Amino acid sequence: MINVLPIATTMLAALLSIEPLHLDGYAALTPAFTLMATYHWTIYRPNLLPAPWLFLIGTIQDLLSGGLPGETAVTLLLARAILLPQRHYFVDRRFPFIWAGFTLLTGGAVLFSWALHSLLAAELLDLRGPVLRAVLTISAFPIASFLLGRSQRALIGAD
Amino acid sequence: MRISPARRAAIERMSLTLLVVISAVMIIVGKADQVAFQSLRNSLMDAAAPALDMLSRPAAALDAAAGRVRGFITVYRDNLRLAEENERLLGWQQVAMRLAAENAELRDLSKLVSELAISFVTARVIADSGGAYARSVMVNAGRDNGVARGQAAMTGEGLVGRVSEVGSRAARILLITDLNSRVPVVVDGTRQRAILAGDNSARPSLRYVDAGGTIRIGDRIVTSGQGGVFPPGLPVGIVASVDTEGARVEPYATLSRVDYLRLVDYGLAEALPNPLSVAARGGKRAESGVGGPPTLRR
Repeated sequence: MINVLPIATTMLAALLSIEPLHLDGYAALTPAFTLMATYHWTIYRPNLLPAPWLFLIGTIQDLLSGGLPGETAVTLLLARAILLPQRHYFVDRRFPFIWAGFTLLTGGAVLFSWALHSLLAAELLDLRGPVLRAVLTISAFPIASFLLGRSQRALIGAD
Repeated sequence: MRISPARRAAIERMSLTLLVVISAVMIIVGKADQVAFQSLRNSLMDAAAPALDMLSRPAAALDAAAGRVRGFITVYRDNLRLAEENERLLGWQQVAMRLAAENAELRDLSKLVSELAISFVTARVIADSGGAYARSVMVNAGRDNGVARGQAAMTGEGLVGRVSEVGSRAARILLITDLNSRVPVVVDGTRQRAILAGDNSARPSLRYVDAGGTIRIGDRIVTSGQGGVFPPGLPVGIVASVDTEGARVEPYATLSRVDYLRLVDYGLAEALPNPLSVAARGGKRAESGVGGPPTLRR
């Protein structure tokens, strides 16, 4: 029963990303919470957050946020595809290493999304918003990582 | 039954590839056909509305508490300001009453048929777009509350957007800053028409300005009513900058943080039960009102 934790936290992350926080301009810069959860669970418990669930949660987030359907799904799936073969480098590493890995992943994800939207809009879109969003996502990661790690140890047990 | 690691890896690779392909197809279909996912979106919106409503309450409560604290701090200054403003507005009230009487008289003289009655629903924002490439919000009122596609979404200050998707208990509002938003507008007090086009930035731009027309900084922009989506004369914003690429409009409403929206129904008043029975889910602020002058008889 405890094994639904990765799916539940990722789903919660998806709902949090469309949560209105009553802060000026926050909506456009909301950190990519689902990416954080996906990163964490793909490293520590990939079998408890399988690809079909990533697809489902990503799609739900896109449909609820009014965004492009499929975008978050494809981002999360690609993140998994990239991470899965490398995950043994990350397990049992200290946090700065994990954080550095997430920084690279976030950079890639934000560039991917920017390229996709630029392609679909047939013009080069402003990159400042997305870059700021990446910075916020990377800055918020330690908190998310701490909370996810805590709940994981409490409910599933270490690796 | 145990699956060998090699087999498991192969299954993983296959399912990942397949799902990525499905997602890519969804992106293309969703882009090419805006309504392809409409019904799925609507039912998902209805299903998630209670959860989103609940989740959005702590932040809203925190915001309200912060507002109250700010209110205590500034109460003295606010009181002075409001007393002064009240004085001024009382003067305006006299002017408005005189103009209303004069207007009614002139309308009577010219046998003008008055505009239709307007009714509205007030709803709370329970989700926002949370992305860099779209500007929309979700509110906790839907078809059950009398919300319909195309209705104007307003705050006290001005136009915010229009209802783009409607579920039975939730609706999505496309903000005027969204890349896909186009609103026919006019410079207030002139016949200078234009289209207000969003581009995801905070200030939408004015396009297709009438040839020979000039737009100046500080011009008031209101809806023109063309296209029949919005009534004419809704306040939109003020021209904030003019350059070779065109003019940009600063919306009156603070679009980056909206809490409550008023969804205005215009022209459909006849088709709706009157007065509207409205009780937006859990929202004490949900209300309805029917106003506007009665239709003048010829």
